[in-house]
Amino acid sequence: MRRSDLGEFEEVVLLAVAVLVPKAYSVMIAEELERETGQTVSTGAVHAALQRLEQKGYVTSVLGEATAERGGRRKRLFTVSALGGRVLTEVRSVRNRLWDRIVPPTLLEWS
Amino acid sequence: MKSSQTPKPNRRTGMPDHAPRWPDRLLTWLIAPHLREEVLGDLHERYQLRVQRLGEAKARRRYWRDLLAYVRLSMIKRQSSDYPTPFFLTPGMLRNYVKIAFRNLVKNPVFSAINVIGLALGMICCLFIFLWVQDEESVDTFHANGKNLYTAYQTFSSPGKVDGKYGTPMRVVNQRAVFLLEDVKSAVPEVQNTVFYATGYELPWGHPETFQTGEKKFKLEGSRASRDFFKMFSYPLIAGHAETALNDIGGMAISRKMAELFFGSPQNALGKSLRYENKLDFRVTAVFENLPVQSSLKFDFLLTWEAQKSKLEWASNDFRTYVQLAETADPKTVETKINRFLQPRLARNTGVTTQIGLQPFGEQYLHGNFVNGKPDGGRIEYVRIFSGVALFILLIACINFMNLATARSVKRAKEVGVRKVLGSTRGHLIGQFFGEALLLAFLAMLVTLLLVTLFMPLFNAFTGKQIASPLTQPSFWVSLLGLTVFTGTIAGSYPALFLSSLQPVRILKGVLRFTQSAIWFRQGLTVFQFGLAIILLVATIVVSRQTRYVQDTHLGYDRENLLYVRIEGELMTQRNYLLFKEQVSRMPGIALVDRSSEAPHVMGFVVDANDGAANTSQDAINWEGKEKNVSVGFKPTSVGFDFVKLMNLKVAQGRDFSRANATDSTDAFLVNEEAVKQMGLKKPIGKWISAWQKKGHIIGILKDYHTHSLHEPIKPLVMDVKEYEYFGVILVRTEAGKTKEALASLGKVYKELNPNYPFAYQFIDQEYEKLYRSEEVMAKLSNVFAVLAILISCLGLLGLVMFSTEQRTKEIGIRKVLGASVSQIIMLFSRDFLRLVWIAILIASPIAWYAMNQWLQSFAYKIDIAWWIFAASGFGALAVTLLTVSFQSIKAALMNPVKSLRSE
Repeated sequence: MRRSDLGEFEEVVLLAVAVLVPKAYSVMIAEELERETGQTVSTGAVHAALQRLEQKGYVTSVLGEATAERGGRRKRLFTVSALGGRVLTEVRSVRNRLWDRIVPPTLLEWS
Repeated sequence: MKSSQTPKPNRRTGMPDHAPRWPDRLLTWLIAPHLREEVLGDLHERYQLRVQRLGEAKARRRYWRDLLAYVRLSMIKRQSSDYPTPFFLTPGMLRNYVKIAFRNLVKNPVFSAINVIGLALGMICCLFIFLWVQDEESVDTFHANGKNLYTAYQTFSSPGKVDGKYGTPMRVVNQRAVFLLEDVKSAVPEVQNTVFYATGYELPWGHPETFQTGEKKFKLEGSRASRDFFKMFSYPLIAGHAETALNDIGGMAISRKMAELFFGSPQNALGKSLRYENKLDFRVTAVFENLPVQSSLKFDFLLTWEAQKSKLEWASNDFRTYVQLAETADPKTVETKINRFLQPRLARNTGVTTQIGLQPFGEQYLHGNFVNGKPDGGRIEYVRIFSGVALFILLIACINFMNLATARSVKRAKEVGVRKVLGSTRGHLIGQFFGEALLLAFLAMLVTLLLVTLFMPLFNAFTGKQIASPLTQPSFWVSLLGLTVFTGTIAGSYPALFLSSLQPVRILKGVLRFTQSAIWFRQGLTVFQFGLAIILLVATIVVSRQTRYVQDTHLGYDRENLLYVRIEGELMTQRNYLLFKEQVSRMPGIALVDRSSEAPHVMGFVVDANDGAANTSQDAINWEGKEKNVSVGFKPTSVGFDFVKLMNLKVAQGRDFSRANATDSTDAFLVNEEAVKQMGLKKPIGKWISAWQKKGHIIGILKDYHTHSLHEPIKPLVMDVKEYEYFGVILVRTEAGKTKEALASLGKVYKELNPNYPFAYQFIDQEYEKLYRSEEVMAKLSNVFAVLAILISCLGLLGLVMFSTEQRTKEIGIRKVLGASVSQIIMLFSRDFLRLVWIAILIASPIAWYAMNQWLQSFAYKIDIAWWIFAASGFGALAVTLLTVSFQSIKAALMNPVKSLRSE
């Protein structure tokens, strides 16, 4: 699996979907990311990322029910697919392996 | 961005839910349809959250930033569909439209023919009128300086009266005419050139003038103009120079035609001499190209203004003054400057103020009438009338198309239904039906083109114009195309809108009923069509009756077998005149010979205090008991002793001139009844009257007779005997049926007594008819238009009846089986259409009356518009309608019911 298949923002969004399931849709995800990162995240960016993830097969989606806040419009709810889960795990293990190889004096210098 | 009003709380959530509105609209347009719901939902939900958390202002600002985040390709790109709606102008669809249109044309050849012929007739009318109007408007526009050329006119205002005419003031000083604007150039710098121009052939005294070299004698019509004429106007010179053409008082410029007539070629003519009226010699100083037909000034030769002032006779009191202004000059300011220059030079204390105005030279042809002292109206009115009529005829043709197309929509309805079910939108259908109308208009255009080329010579003969075949002019093609598109669009508009509005469910179920408003609209169109036709019919009757009235009216004198010869050359002396009279009277075929100072059917000379002449200090004509400040527009004329007898005039009171009475040649005057009335005399016989220096007594009163065309009322006339005048005409009454002998006798005597002049004569009755040439053209054209309008309307009617009989074949069959007679069935069909024509008559009659009354105002003597004219045209329209309708309905009524009912 190549690194370029999952951008950094995509990775974060994918993680957020995994966290928020079963109520993962773009507004929730954007709000969640804003809270976690402290930066503004627009629904447009999230939506675009979700589209890409869906194309790659990492998430699946269904239309949910309408709510009043949305002016009677339905929302699209996302879940992480099995492939998406595997990719996430793989990315995480790569990171973990690398983290584990950092020698303690270096870590001490950062903190 | 903050909205001024507080948002309304949402019913369910109790929260305000006003996300800004118009960004939504922007997004709806921008975002692909399959994503719209999610995107808008997301935005609105986020907005609500933010309003709660951050307040409205911040939420709004964020909203905008969020919105921008959606402007990316993945959001905008439309989803491809398995069942795309093709663009309706793809080649495949177009081919289908054309095929269907063509099939419809071929399937119903009669209806197609009616439509094409109707449209073509309308377009032919329009096109011919367009050519005519274009030609009228091109008159006088060919001069290179055209924009800066102006014609001067004068406005005379006296208390309660404002008059106007072309020309500029002149005064007679020491027996010499002084033209007051001659040196205006030096005083008003904007004036670059001033040219005076007068014809030699205008009435009352003008005539074709005789030129001679060796044995060659010809009468030609020409004018006089001052020296800058050729510099100002663009009449190209073949020989000579514009600078010097009219410098020399003994010089003249002649046309190519005249040069070829006398000298064989223009080059030969230069420097040669021509004898004028057997008394003066003029040397040819320039030869100009024959005048283009677009020139309103007509002349075959030009003499100089200096010659006119010192040597030549005036043809009339009128002359023209043309002014060329500098490129940048404003005519209004120049007018004021000219008037400031002129006022001190005018005669004072006449009670009349004279103002000079400038009219662009190119306009004088179409706007040559004067109203309130200013140029207003003229030929332009005919241009407008004819353009209007042509447009109306085109409209009638378009209405045919609309009516037939909507009536026949029953046939096309299924097609519309199927097309709609298969996904055609209303726009597609409108496009399709417009396209079909355009196709038909295009076919009509081909027919038009063919017929216009064919009828061009006839049209030229008809209007007296020389319009070349227009096929080589790009402007013609542009207007033809424009006309076609216009016709197609007008004709196709209603059918397209109507047919495309049909509901597929109802059509395919087989229920097609026209709504009441659609029916009314169609009937309204028919009424409109026939209304126009009836108006034209009334116009035809009125115009032709007026023309006939004018021709048949007894003028008060007998104009049959009456001809006149100008007094010129040797005949100008009294001795020769009397010799001529005596000799001719003895010849075969001649009844009587006498003279008059003017041709008696067009006496143009009027003496009036306001005629602009300089000698207004003392009126030319005075009489016993004349009150001060009374101005009577007299027509003075001098005749011979036998004039009254020759003309067959009636003497109402007193007696005729008589040779037996010695004083009659010096002391006797005849006046007409109108003169007596206007002079205010109770017992006119024996009262003294004077004309210029001649004073005498009224010996008799003539019954009023017409001395001019019937456009003018009869004017006061004063007549005396002067056999010694050197001008005027010799009147000859020939014996009925012996015209040939009379002409031979006249010619013989004339040649002997007046050898230097070609023998030329005019018949009064023919000349009289020429006075009504424009009415005659009008009469002819209104005939043509009325026939066309009726024809086109009837074509449409025929189509409608054919269609409705076709639709009601079964109904007729059942009616006949149940015992209806043929006449009942005919009535059934005729009633509806006749009702419409009735309504048309009711609406059209008052309009026609008003319009024709306006037209008749230009005649002083006119027919009454009698009720029967409307009755006749109404009856005519009804008859034609009945004929058209019954032609079809009889056919339908006579059909065997077995046949019509057999098939199901």
